[in-house]
Amino acid sequence: MSTLLGQSQLQETFELNIGPQHPATHGVLRLKVTMDGEYIVKAEPVLGYIHRMHEKMGENRTWNKFWPNLGRLDYLSAIAYNHGYAGLVERAAGIEVPERAEYIRVITVELNRIQSHLLWFGAFVLDLGGFTPLMYAFDEREQILDLLESVTGSRLTYCYFRFGGVYNDIDDDFITGTRAFIKRFRPQIPMYHDLVTGNVILMERLVDIGHVSSEMCRKYGATGPVLRGSGVNFDIRKNEPYSVYPEFDFDVPVYTECDSMARYMVRMKEMEQSLRIIEQALDKIPDGPYIAEKVPKMIKPVKGDYHFAVEAARGTFSMRTVSDGTNQSYRMRLRSPTYSNLSLFEEASRGMLLADALAFMGSLDLVIPEMDR
Amino acid sequence: MGTENIPSTVDLTSIPSSLVQFHQLDKLRMLARANSLWPMTFGLACCAIEMMSSGAARFDLSRFGAEVFRPSPRQADLMIVAGTINKKMLPAVKILYDQMTEPKWVIAMGNCAISGGPFVFEGQYNVVEGADTFLPVDVYIPGCPPRPEALIEGILELEEKLTGTRRWPRVKPETAVKG
Amino acid sequence: MDRAKIKKELEMLAAEGLPAEEPTEEAAPEPQAADEEQDAKKSKKAAEEPPRVNGLLETDYNARGFHLDVQVNPDQVVAAAEILDREGLTMEMVTGVDWLKENQFEVVYDYSYTGGELFRVVVRARIDREKPDIPTISEVYPGANWHERETWDLFGINFVGHPQLERFLLPDDADFHPLRKDFKP
Repeated sequence: MSTLLGQSQLQETFELNIGPQHPATHGVLRLKVTMDGEYIVKAEPVLGYIHRMHEKMGENRTWNKFWPNLGRLDYLSAIAYNHGYAGLVERAAGIEVPERAEYIRVITVELNRIQSHLLWFGAFVLDLGGFTPLMYAFDEREQILDLLESVTGSRLTYCYFRFGGVYNDIDDDFITGTRAFIKRFRPQIPMYHDLVTGNVILMERLVDIGHVSSEMCRKYGATGPVLRGSGVNFDIRKNEPYSVYPEFDFDVPVYTECDSMARYMVRMKEMEQSLRIIEQALDKIPDGPYIAEKVPKMIKPVKGDYHFAVEAARGTFSMRTVSDGTNQSYRMRLRSPTYSNLSLFEEASRGMLLADALAFMGSLDLVIPEMDR
Repeated sequence: MGTENIPSTVDLTSIPSSLVQFHQLDKLRMLARANSLWPMTFGLACCAIEMMSSGAARFDLSRFGAEVFRPSPRQADLMIVAGTINKKMLPAVKILYDQMTEPKWVIAMGNCAISGGPFVFEGQYNVVEGADTFLPVDVYIPGCPPRPEALIEGILELEEKLTGTRRWPRVKPETAVKG
Repeated sequence: MDRAKIKKELEMLAAEGLPAEEPTEEAAPEPQAADEEQDAKKSKKAAEEPPRVNGLLETDYNARGFHLDVQVNPDQVVAAAEILDREGLTMEMVTGVDWLKENQFEVVYDYSYTGGELFRVVVRARIDREKPDIPTISEVYPGANWHERETWDLFGINFVGHPQLERFLLPDDADFHPLRKDFKP
């Protein structure tokens, strides 16, 4: 490939604009690509087409009123974002969370992670030209959405957590329903592998394409499945344990191939691990209150900086806030995982075929509103 | 609202104001259009996921003839504005609308497309407060995001607007909740 | 990664910047803020917390979410990034804070370690609001490119040497920096 580029350097390059409305960019991302024939010389992502001022909104409303924004950042793993905010403010204001609430949080976050990966799976294979898996994935996904809707009240943009717990207790229907879902979904994963993973076309499009080394991940701050697909065993749930994650036995899937296929496999395996976590959590969930009794109505954290990180479906979501001692945040910074994950795209896509680059971009699992915030 | 010659009310007797009038033929054309709306694959934010859900396995938009999502605006006649429009995106949305061929319709899906939704506050600097500030919106679907059923209902409403008759029985709210 | 080594090197770095920094830091914001309004309130506040002097603090992870908190001179952020880069840390985010009362911007760099052990470092530098210049660390961490560009976009903090300091999240024709505390649309 490099020789090809070298030979044709005398030829003219041309600019290609992809997006902001393009089916392959998963929303409103725009790519400004300099092409040499079919090869990419430089692909520059242009952001901001869905910048919705979340950080500004964090500064001009009380801590409680910021909740709905968390559901609208990464709408695919919104509950993990709820968790990040809950953790941040609970850390800042020193709120204790009952154990049952933490279990409910973990169960819902993991269900949410599975549905996020399912949607990614469907959309990613759709990008590569396969339509059927999308239908399978959405079928399973709807099962999860039903379960989550029964406890959270919404299908997508969850605003479920509260400081000190959750908004609504889970009931027996939810527990039996979740168990039934696990029973149903577990055999589906091998079916997905049969249907998709071994497919020659998919292999051709993914294996050895989109190389992202662990060093590149480090320099760009990439996390989540992108980092784990590059052979780094890093998962906030294990490395920086929060909530009740230390009590569960689960593995962190790591693949060392560094290519698009590795990232694909990491996500597929993560769904299995999430099932394991949910199963254990359902077995172990204690009785008790689902929200702390003594949560102050007016939350006024002590002055200073606070930081909290969680493992969302796409990687490390961390929040940093500066409190000035009032009931509002002085500065709210949201560090979204795909922002960093995509920032390596320009370097990693150099010299790639355009079609491969789009497959590579799909393997990064982008959610644009979360990047633009 | 695609063109002025499309009756916007349920009145069957109103005649489109084109130079040569074929009343029955126009009605037939409208019937055909209403039953095969081609929406543009155009997702902006969260609502786009519900739009995908509507098209996918469970809600199956193709039952209502509107599942042919087209990535190109040239091939689409329905723009579903699914998500927040901000000032950077505004010119692109305008271009997309202009690129669509007549007749064309717009559905504002979700609170952001209706009014800016939760992102409107005093002193906001980046969100366009509603698609109807620059597009002729035909149907508004409230919700944050609206459920797929709501999108389907919105499409049925649009059909009704085009043909003057409702193809499917209206579901009464009290019966809809059960189940 | 060697925690003790990082701590020692950052401590030395912060100490290097001290003598030059201290007088100007303290002299500049105080008088301005004090005479203007509410003398009693201000003096009480000033008595409570003098502006932070450069240096390294070990913070309680459970309370704050990070282990080391280092304040350095603006011209030392690159050196700090190099120290952390040598030890294999990841740049997690770069952001700004607008301290309107003190007439300063604070640029905050978050670093973490993804190699196994849990370690989070915060590096911060204060710059003058009138002349918000700070060197870029995007040479050390290319990932900082976007973060710095965004910080310029939203705060107007000028990262000297940045390869592409253009509008990022806002439209190209925007002429404001919305996260500044005195921003009015």
